[in-house]
Amino acid sequence: MKHGSRSLLTKHSIIMAVFIVACIATGDQSRAAEFSFGDGTGKNEACIACHGNQEKVDSKNYINPTSFGHTTHAKFGCTTCHDTIASNHPNGKSVASTTRCDDCHGDIITQYSASIHATKASCSGCHNPHRVFKPGEISAIEMNKQCAGCHDTNKITASHAQWLPQAGVHLGAISCVTCHSKAENYVITIYIAKRADSDPEQKPELASFEELKKRSGSDSIQYLIDRNRDSYISLDELRKFNRDSANQDLYLKAILTPVKPTHSFQTFDNRWDCTFCHASGPEIMQTSYLSFPEQNGTFQQIAVEKGAAMDALHAIPNFYLMGSTRNGLLNKLGLLIIIGGMVMPVGHGFFRFLSRKNRQ
Amino acid sequence: MSSIMVYLQPIPVRIWHWLNALGIVTLCVSGAQIRFPEYVTLFGSYRSAIMLHNTAGIVVALSFSIWFFYYKFVADSLADIYIPKGSDLTTGLFRQVIFYFFAYFFGAPNPHHATPESKFNPLQKSAYLAIMFVLMPFVSLTGILLMNMGPMREIVMLVGGLKILVAIHFLLACSLCAFIFTHVYLATLGSTPLAYFKPMWSGWEKVEHHGTEHSH
Repeated sequence: MKHGSRSLLTKHSIIMAVFIVACIATGDQSRAAEFSFGDGTGKNEACIACHGNQEKVDSKNYINPTSFGHTTHAKFGCTTCHDTIASNHPNGKSVASTTRCDDCHGDIITQYSASIHATKASCSGCHNPHRVFKPGEISAIEMNKQCAGCHDTNKITASHAQWLPQAGVHLGAISCVTCHSKAENYVITIYIAKRADSDPEQKPELASFEELKKRSGSDSIQYLIDRNRDSYISLDELRKFNRDSANQDLYLKAILTPVKPTHSFQTFDNRWDCTFCHASGPEIMQTSYLSFPEQNGTFQQIAVEKGAAMDALHAIPNFYLMGSTRNGLLNKLGLLIIIGGMVMPVGHGFFRFLSRKNRQ
Repeated sequence: MSSIMVYLQPIPVRIWHWLNALGIVTLCVSGAQIRFPEYVTLFGSYRSAIMLHNTAGIVVALSFSIWFFYYKFVADSLADIYIPKGSDLTTGLFRQVIFYFFAYFFGAPNPHHATPESKFNPLQKSAYLAIMFVLMPFVSLTGILLMNMGPMREIVMLVGGLKILVAIHFLLACSLCAFIFTHVYLATLGSTPLAYFKPMWSGWEKVEHHGTEHSH
């Protein structure tokens, strides 16, 4: 009996303990919902409910939900980085963070630290952690705009013009990181740009998602060019887009971009040599992608048939990289013309030699 | 057989001609380096080739202006010398072709006799008409546009784009290159191989009477 009473007491104690723990846990959960930070599993609705609403927060604290939702950072959740958020947020101090970029991006930080740029700007100087994309998801124009945030475009053009002929044309046809970061390979990325009110060389302006969507209607923007909807852009489709009178206010802006830009920012010696690009040979100029804007602020790339930049006339009418994008057919035609000029000296000269005695 | 000296090539024409010759040869070679940098490296760096090509292009465009200004406004003989007359087209061209491709080999004299007022035979007139009024202006114009892509972008767009402009420039340049081979060869068809080169240097041509060649 005594043993039985003890057992009953123990059982009651356990039930009581479980109840108390359950109460504490329930209280914590309700408080988590009350304080609007994310749950660390990629569901950031609580945070975004305020920070994604421009009426609730100032511009400094506003986070575009669509752009942020696309990032890998969003998948980790707000509190992964903002790990020291005060329990009384938003009434407390600003959201603190002990998380550093190199907690996850150590390799890139090491690479960046060795570059001349490291002392000039921190990661957030170029990257908004709430709006980070993979290299192909951001347009070269926007990448250049980030550089222009610190580097005045006019001064940059003037400094390049000291050694680079037609500096403005060059700077409009390549992304800054093409020359100023160490990348292994390059491609030609084609964007849809607006002709009106833009300076195609120094300040090309790409058509926005909304502007292109008006043209494509219920269809994807992609089908403005990809007419047979096979998610592959043929040279013929590029030509048709260029010839279509409905696209008179647009043009295809091609930019030489690195496949995988690195963070080793510096001016490499071989980039001073024009032949780095201009004698790179036609082979490297074969690969190109069409890049068009998506609703979430990113760009999507579609493979383009080999040789778009090499096409003689209409595929990318305004992209020509002297020396490297020479067209083979034109080369042969030019050679035929020159050989035609040699017909007279060789042919006539031959008979002239044979008949030389007639003129003595 | 007597001969007289005729002042055939005035100083402005000679200056223009040799500036043009030097310029066009330079343009052809530097242009080859610009288009085929892996194979042609005659002028050193790519940048040097570009700078030289641009400079030579400006020189040729200016010398073309000298030519036009002299013939049109000073000598006032542009049409007479360069535009074929009716008889040139009806019989002159045929006669000259027969001479170059048939009669010449049998030692027949050139049917055309050069004078300051009529320097070119009908075949030359037709060729130079195409070269001086089509090839040269268009190759210069396309070159000027290519040198000023930024400020002249809208004109380039109107032409149809940079690619079309480059294609036109390249094919016209090849045509000029082809012309040089033919031109230099025909210049050796005088009484001696250098007979037609000397007047373009000194201005004076030795014209022989009684049926010898006088023109190339």
